[in-house]
Amino acid sequence: MSYLIRGVRRSIVRGVALYAALIGVAWCALFPILWALSGSLKTESEVATPTVMPSHPQWANYGEVFSLMPFWRMFLNTVLYAGCVTAGQVFFCSLAGYSFARLRFRGRDTLFVLYLATLMVPLTVTVIPQFILMRTFGWTDTPWAMIVPGLFGSAFGTYLMRQFFRTLPTDLEEAAILDGCTPWQIYWRILLPQTKPAIMVLAVLTWVNVWNDFLWPLVMIQRQSIATLNLGLVWMQGQYVSRWPVLMAASILILLPLLLVYAIAQRAFVRGIAVTGFGGR
Amino acid sequence: MTSIDDGVMPTKRRARAGRAFVAPNLAAIAVFMLFPLGFSLYMSFQKWDLFTPAKFVGLANFRHLFTDDPLFATALRNTAVYTIGTLVPAVLISLVVAALLNRKLKGISVFRAVVFVPLAVSSVVTAVMWQYMFNTDDGLLNTMLGWVGIGPVPWLLDPGWAMVSLCMVSVWKSVPFATVVLLAAMQGVPHTLYEAARIDGASATRQFISITVPLIRGALSFVVVITIINAFQAFDQVYVLTGGHGGPETGTYVLGIMLFQHAFTFLDFGYASALAWVMFAILLGLTVLQLRLTRRSSLEL
Repeated sequence: MSYLIRGVRRSIVRGVALYAALIGVAWCALFPILWALSGSLKTESEVATPTVMPSHPQWANYGEVFSLMPFWRMFLNTVLYAGCVTAGQVFFCSLAGYSFARLRFRGRDTLFVLYLATLMVPLTVTVIPQFILMRTFGWTDTPWAMIVPGLFGSAFGTYLMRQFFRTLPTDLEEAAILDGCTPWQIYWRILLPQTKPAIMVLAVLTWVNVWNDFLWPLVMIQRQSIATLNLGLVWMQGQYVSRWPVLMAASILILLPLLLVYAIAQRAFVRGIAVTGFGGR
Repeated sequence: MTSIDDGVMPTKRRARAGRAFVAPNLAAIAVFMLFPLGFSLYMSFQKWDLFTPAKFVGLANFRHLFTDDPLFATALRNTAVYTIGTLVPAVLISLVVAALLNRKLKGISVFRAVVFVPLAVSSVVTAVMWQYMFNTDDGLLNTMLGWVGIGPVPWLLDPGWAMVSLCMVSVWKSVPFATVVLLAAMQGVPHTLYEAARIDGASATRQFISITVPLIRGALSFVVVITIINAFQAFDQVYVLTGGHGGPETGTYVLGIMLFQHAFTFLDFGYASALAWVMFAILLGLTVLQLRLTRRSSLEL
């Protein structure tokens, strides 16, 4: 009897310890964000005190962000860039992925090895020549530089889609060929609707990547009117040094849309990272 | 047979479609990936500042980098310290966190969702948020250290501490990533192994070391390679956290910052390209070495 009670007590202690550890870890992950949120609602004088709850929440700090930087303009720019690149990636990568997985043509497999090889090339090597390319096209400081390089797909996305197409059963496709469907009809009507999970993964990863990108917009854009939110935040940080409440309010505002994306597409996002190793920066 | 009547063989038609479907994608990769790659190699043998014609200088850029530029050695050392200072804590912490999140407990999916949140935060926002906590005079970290009687730490003002701060920020960002990958691998470990071990009387810690870690070795090596690749090229978080020049002094002057300065501040494109290729070579070497090492140790099993 006492043995039983001891066993129960021990498992209760274990459970409590586990939950305590989990809460600790979750707290570490969230704390910088919560602290930024708290700082964004403080006055300039209160921001130095270590209280978590601001005594009088200063929602005006958020209003000030809108007057110090063209927030909505930059928000729309970022949405435009992320939206165009994501749509382009999904369309062209799935099209090429379908071709690599199912359509035979001479040199296909050699070409695919070339694709895999380009996955190894780090951004460090390509950013300088890409900058010079954009200059030659006359695209520096224009939205084209933000959209066109990613619009027609990437080796990474094509690889991801090709792997997924290969897991789909072929019988529907064979039936469609017998019915006289063209390759385009097979792709558009039959296979694409089946690849939704892979498309979600590619779309979410691309969206987050463009939204969070910094080096490329930093190199490409000088004008405020076409800048991204990240660029706006860094400019603001340079201009309003140590005005923590406003800087934190801006950070929270930039973070919020992505948290929303994360909340909606969490499964696709996390699975995409687990499979591809993308986003470990 | 109808297609023969049409004069078009289905296989021919499919081959034509196959080429057409790849074409736009291939064109983009050729223009924005393959051409830049070749052009970058070409530039690394040139002296070029965009405004005067490029001049062929042979290996001079590389020679200068290795023999004449003391800042290269500094950047290399800082990058190595930063890479190790991110990699080791991130891997150790994420092993423990992944093991915790792998438990079948009530509400575990909520904890998972929360722990992965930093993945959605951009490096720029991350760096700005942490700057607020690192503030020397009245930042949260120093206030809390003050409670236990430790004097103010010059987090971002002292070259050595700036590197520590930078590593802390990167660990915060890397742990969720590593945890995602390791957790996925841990979920693939068959339960029967744990049950057998429990019957043999193995403790939870013992099971973790003798079953979990060896069986997720592949994922572990994947995490190590990706973390090294990212840390080695770090730019965003360094630029935003310590003001873009790798300061204070040369405390956070890493290779990514050096590359950016030579290319986009000094407009010395030849030299910067040479540096980029040296970085690429080191990265390839490290990746191959790491894969070799894991393969050997898994053979020993």
